[in-house]
Amino acid sequence: MRGGWVLRRVLMALPLAVGIVLVSFILLRVMPGDPVDIMLRGGGTSSEAEARALARQLGLDQPLPVQLARFVGDLARGDLGESIRSRQPVGQVLLATLPATVELALAALGFAVATGVALGVLAATRRGSWLDRAVMVSASLGISMPAFWLGIVLILLLAVGTGWLPTSGRIASQYAGTVPWHTGFLLVDTLLAGNLAAFRSALAHLVLPAVTLGAELAAVVARVTRSSMLEVMGAEFVRTARAKGLPEGRVVLRHALRNALIPTASVVGLQAGVLLGGNMIVETVFSWPGLGRLVVEAIFARDYPVVQGAVMVYALTFLVMNLLVDLAYTWLDPRIREA
Amino acid sequence: MRGVHRQGRRLRAAPNRLGRLVPLAVALVLALAAAGCTGGGREQAGGEAGSSQGQVLSITLDGAKNREAELQVIAQYLKQVGIDAQVRVWEYQTLVAEAQKGTRQAYATDWGSATFTPVDLAVPKLETGGRGNYSFYSNPDLDALFKEAAAATDEAKALEAYKKAQAILFEDAPWIFGYYLDAIEAASTRVKNWQPSMDSRINLHDVELEGGDTLVVGLRADRILSLDPAAYRDRDTETVIRNIYDGLVTRTPDGKVVPEIAESWEQPDPTTYVFKLRRGIKFHNGEDLTADDVVFTFERILAEDGLDGQPSPRKGLLEPLESIEKVDDYTVRMKLANPSAAFLQLLVHTQIVPKDYVEEVGSAGLSAKPVGAGPFRFVEGSLDGQVVLERFDDYYGGSPDLPPVGPAKLQRVVFRMMPEPATRIAALQNGEVHIIQEVPPDLVAQLEKDPNVQVKVTQGTRLYMIELNNKLFTDPRVRQALNYAIDWDAILKELYKDHAHRVATAMLPSGFGYDETLKPYPYDPEKAKQLLREAGYRVD
Repeated sequence: MRGGWVLRRVLMALPLAVGIVLVSFILLRVMPGDPVDIMLRGGGTSSEAEARALARQLGLDQPLPVQLARFVGDLARGDLGESIRSRQPVGQVLLATLPATVELALAALGFAVATGVALGVLAATRRGSWLDRAVMVSASLGISMPAFWLGIVLILLLAVGTGWLPTSGRIASQYAGTVPWHTGFLLVDTLLAGNLAAFRSALAHLVLPAVTLGAELAAVVARVTRSSMLEVMGAEFVRTARAKGLPEGRVVLRHALRNALIPTASVVGLQAGVLLGGNMIVETVFSWPGLGRLVVEAIFARDYPVVQGAVMVYALTFLVMNLLVDLAYTWLDPRIREA
Repeated sequence: MRGVHRQGRRLRAAPNRLGRLVPLAVALVLALAAAGCTGGGREQAGGEAGSSQGQVLSITLDGAKNREAELQVIAQYLKQVGIDAQVRVWEYQTLVAEAQKGTRQAYATDWGSATFTPVDLAVPKLETGGRGNYSFYSNPDLDALFKEAAAATDEAKALEAYKKAQAILFEDAPWIFGYYLDAIEAASTRVKNWQPSMDSRINLHDVELEGGDTLVVGLRADRILSLDPAAYRDRDTETVIRNIYDGLVTRTPDGKVVPEIAESWEQPDPTTYVFKLRRGIKFHNGEDLTADDVVFTFERILAEDGLDGQPSPRKGLLEPLESIEKVDDYTVRMKLANPSAAFLQLLVHTQIVPKDYVEEVGSAGLSAKPVGAGPFRFVEGSLDGQVVLERFDDYYGGSPDLPPVGPAKLQRVVFRMMPEPATRIAALQNGEVHIIQEVPPDLVAQLEKDPNVQVKVTQGTRLYMIELNNKLFTDPRVRQALNYAIDWDAILKELYKDHAHRVATAMLPSGFGYDETLKPYPYDPEKAKQLLREAGYRVD
């Protein structure tokens, strides 16, 4: 039963994936600007013949339908093509940058959920107090502060001002080249290498970008958790639990919170996409070598295969996230399972 | 009457084909075309061509985001002389593509020098056809003069040709002449013996770091393209690559070409160069560097399929080079298609790779694990994160004309990609990096206050101007008027804090043959109005 439901969900996502691939292909190609031109212009002189030869090599002299057919054909064989600029296989380029982005997104997600839920519950249980108001004000701030601004402010305050945290990058330079690549997740790789100092350095480098990236989501989570907590706290079953004489902490955490988390889970699921989208800015500000920065650069260079591959990664992530949200629902709310 | 060329080269007719394919796509194309321009709709460019006597001149200035502020002020100045001026902001590549179509009236562009030679700095990319800019100005007299100067073996004749060319440019005023910017870089005071170079290379061979042996460089790049010296065309990549590989020749900070892997060279005739190679040079894998490696390096770039079956993007940079052959193990001979005063400067930017190694691992293998004969050998790195290099103890020492000679002083070097200027500066002040590229002019004052930081300024090699579409602005008086109408000195002082310098024409003052007697158009709104009136426009 359960497996069938998941399969149906996945099948429903397939046409969407195809649509995303097609639309992004068309949008990219009709965008003004020529990758060959961009590549050759770097040095100044370039001859017409040189440009034509390069375009032919890259298949860019073909009509669009032919390019599309070739692209889809390659894709079916699992070949994402080659980066126009760096000539590296796109799959390899994406795999090299993806772990950095996932590590950052997970850290941001962890930060956002932990602080958001905690603050939301605190605010709800102390409704109307100064604490409640403080949480609500900082939540509004968190939502309205642009990431690049927040990032730079955090760098100035916590890195340059105090020297507590590093400004940028994934690990201190003295560890560069000393940690063997296993998973691409530096936190994991440094532990695997048994290098605790490098682990601490990687962790310290993760703090500011994760906070910057997660700030908005944390604020949203705090607000949603607060309001759904308030709603649930007034509900019948909570009163029943209280009437049974359960301690208040148990009532709040076990009975109220679990039910209040349903809207929170859906918000987190939907907003997790923001973690991916927002990473373009945060990765640039913190010199974080991830997918977001790669995509921005590839778009400006009209590096079609790289953008195309990245769009698919993003789309896939969104689809998987939505699937996970639905699964989380059924876990949190048994009524959906039966339906 | 000079011919005016339209340069719609290499534009694919994508929308038409699509339109035939799927009607839906047409809507997409239109939506995108509209979205590509933040200014909104796409009205036809008016310009001079369709104007009648007694009308107000109307002009739209197109530019990318980074020059919006400048264009807004320029529009204000133009309004003051009775021109109806507007500004539109574009994403840079979209702007370029639009400019190529030839429908835009005036657009902010910039040109760089490929080789940083005085000769090259003197030649704006003027020749029509195959040039690197999108100007709709074309003047056969100028083309002839520049060609004559660039190929001249007689310096006096070249000088004369350049001066004549500048005089024509100045009178013709095909663009709103602009400025060049200083290249501003900064370093920790612990860094010794480092000078920024005009071509923004960072040569770490001679550099020392007080109280440390790992030097970290914060590059302005998002990522570098490759570690294969035949597979890139951008300066940031070269900055890293140049520390791993050496070239036949190199350049001193003041622009002089000096031998590096070559010991000496001679030029028996204007189109032949014979290079004697230094003996005893070792690549990082222990192999000896010989004439075979040098011939292989150049043939790989010249070939149509040199890089694992693909052409090298550097081919065009070696344009005058026709062929190269081995004379003996330590001598090579190069033949040029035509005399070129800039040829040796081009060689500065070509790095020698080991033949046997590349034949074994291929271009992809070389890029993944580069092996050169430079002062540092590759340890590990990701192109978009950081590249780590280590001193090569068997280094032959580098050019004797650039002392000190010998292995590098630094034990390790890390190049870190840091695209955001504010982050680079924060990291420098925090002691995480020791040298950073490209400091924004308005942050210089802040950095100069820091006792642990030294700001280094050198001349930039890009010219920033506003190109006028000479197909639409056919009257030189109108173009001159636009030049008179703008108080550039005030704009540059305000926006670039004395780190921008005006140019009288499209040539750099440090370039060969620059005519110092030409002064930039002064700010003279009355003169501008008068010229506009003479050209038949209404000026209130």
